[in-house]
Amino acid sequence: MTDIVHAQGLEKSYGNFKALDRVDLNIPTGAISGLIGPNGAGKTTTLKAIIGLCDVEGELEVAGRDPRNARHKLMEEVCFIADVGILPRWLRVNQLLDYVESVHPRFDRARAESFLSTTDIPARKRVKQLSKGMITQLHLALVMAIDVRLLVLDEPTLGLDIVYRKEFYDRLLNDFYDGDRTIIISTHQVEEIETLLSHLVFINRGKIVLNTMMSDLEERFTDLLVEPGKEEQAQALQPISKRSTLGKQCLTFEGVPRAQLAALGEVYTPSVADLFVAKMREERHV
Amino acid sequence: MFNFRIMQFYALLKREVLEHMTMFLFAPLVLAAVILLAVIWVMNLLTDDDLAVIIEYAATLFNGLSPTEMAPIFMLLAIPFLVVLLVCTLAFLLNTLFQDRKDASVLFWQSMPVSNLQTVLSKIVAIVAIAPALYMGVLLSLYLILVVWLSLLGASYDVEIAGLGYMFMAAAVSLMLVYLSAIVAGLWLLPTLGWLLLFSSYATRAPAMWALGVFFALLFLEDFIFGSQFLVNWIESRSNPAQYVIFSFSDIFDRLFNYDMLFGVLVGSILISGAVVMRRYTD
Repeated sequence: MTDIVHAQGLEKSYGNFKALDRVDLNIPTGAISGLIGPNGAGKTTTLKAIIGLCDVEGELEVAGRDPRNARHKLMEEVCFIADVGILPRWLRVNQLLDYVESVHPRFDRARAESFLSTTDIPARKRVKQLSKGMITQLHLALVMAIDVRLLVLDEPTLGLDIVYRKEFYDRLLNDFYDGDRTIIISTHQVEEIETLLSHLVFINRGKIVLNTMMSDLEERFTDLLVEPGKEEQAQALQPISKRSTLGKQCLTFEGVPRAQLAALGEVYTPSVADLFVAKMREERHV
Repeated sequence: MFNFRIMQFYALLKREVLEHMTMFLFAPLVLAAVILLAVIWVMNLLTDDDLAVIIEYAATLFNGLSPTEMAPIFMLLAIPFLVVLLVCTLAFLLNTLFQDRKDASVLFWQSMPVSNLQTVLSKIVAIVAIAPALYMGVLLSLYLILVVWLSLLGASYDVEIAGLGYMFMAAAVSLMLVYLSAIVAGLWLLPTLGWLLLFSSYATRAPAMWALGVFFALLFLEDFIFGSQFLVNWIESRSNPAQYVIFSFSDIFDRLFNYDMLFGVLVGSILISGAVVMRRYTD
């Protein structure tokens, strides 16, 4: 599988603050990749670098182009949805469709209108008159009507209620994703996208902490619910994180054979949320 | 592909007009309405004898003049429109690249396959060529109303004021001269346009303060370090409206093709390139 995003040694500083610190990142073509990290970890800077909106140092190639030199060309093959507020608030819905139709060679207006007809968004309303959820639906309608290779989503459902959030991801999977296209999603709401992901990236303090296929998680990480009396043996295997669950000690291990751990208690694959917390704790202790 | 690029540029121009409808269309419409109301108000104050004197004066003034000779008289009515256009142009240039960063919509505009050069050029064309054209459209309507009204008024006093056709032609010539003056002024003032765009693209707040602050700082530094006033003198040498206002078609060549104009266009182009580079980075 080829990589649609290839980055090596990316660096970006704002004054003394290092937003990206030698970031190496490869995202395979066709993946649904989750870029997960706490506030200020460097998620938005990474995504902006990928679409050429941020000047970074290092090697970077997206869909075969360097976004720093060819953003407008790249944007024929890449779409971007940020936090819901980026659509121009003074434009009417139909004017927005006119604009995208005129400037984007891969935009299918009929498809966008068909999507919008399933919503309550009136064509004559201005963006500023729409609710947050409607603005997201509108942006999604635009993006889904563009035939692109890569979709970049930066906290796309921030501030939306559960109904809109669920509908957003349902639409994305059913109407946009076809197995060949790649989606990169940055979000705080890990639980919501966990089941969608095929690739996972954790970022913290500008550094990539984890970059793996979801299918490799089971092999690489194990949660162990330790049987009473075996805590010391388990601790000796150097877990990356420890927490208490229902009065039992739950330890997360990386790279320890599951068969070896099974002798010490109940083993299972950690959820992305638990793994995220475990990796962040591990980072804190480094 | 070429057709698509033209369509893209048309969409960018349309976007500017839609976004700045108040400056591009409502401002001249309001001005035209104010002028019409003022004419009606003055008419109500005048007696029949006063009107007869004015009509006689107008008939004498236009007597024997060709439409081209009449045009400068019509151009006087364009002055308030040009003043409003100038104010709107300055406000537009200072805000246009700043505002979309302020409301984050720059992320949407930049997510489209449109280069920063196309975007900035569309903004310049919109304010230098499209806005004056819209102002001229409004002015044309005002001319038509006033010419018809003046002719009817003359007829009611049995006086023919230059003939309706002649006055329409004079109005048309006047509009062309005013429009050409506006375009030539845009090119002549390109360094100013570029300077304002540069700070609209750069400033994270108060672009007007940045544009003025850096300008005065440069004047001060030049005086302090070199003891010279090259910048002040250069600006003074370019601040006479006679350098870009066109009163007859034969003026165009002189106004466009001279070293001062070409040097100004070069300086303006460098500053505009700076605005394009600045716009590349939204963070």
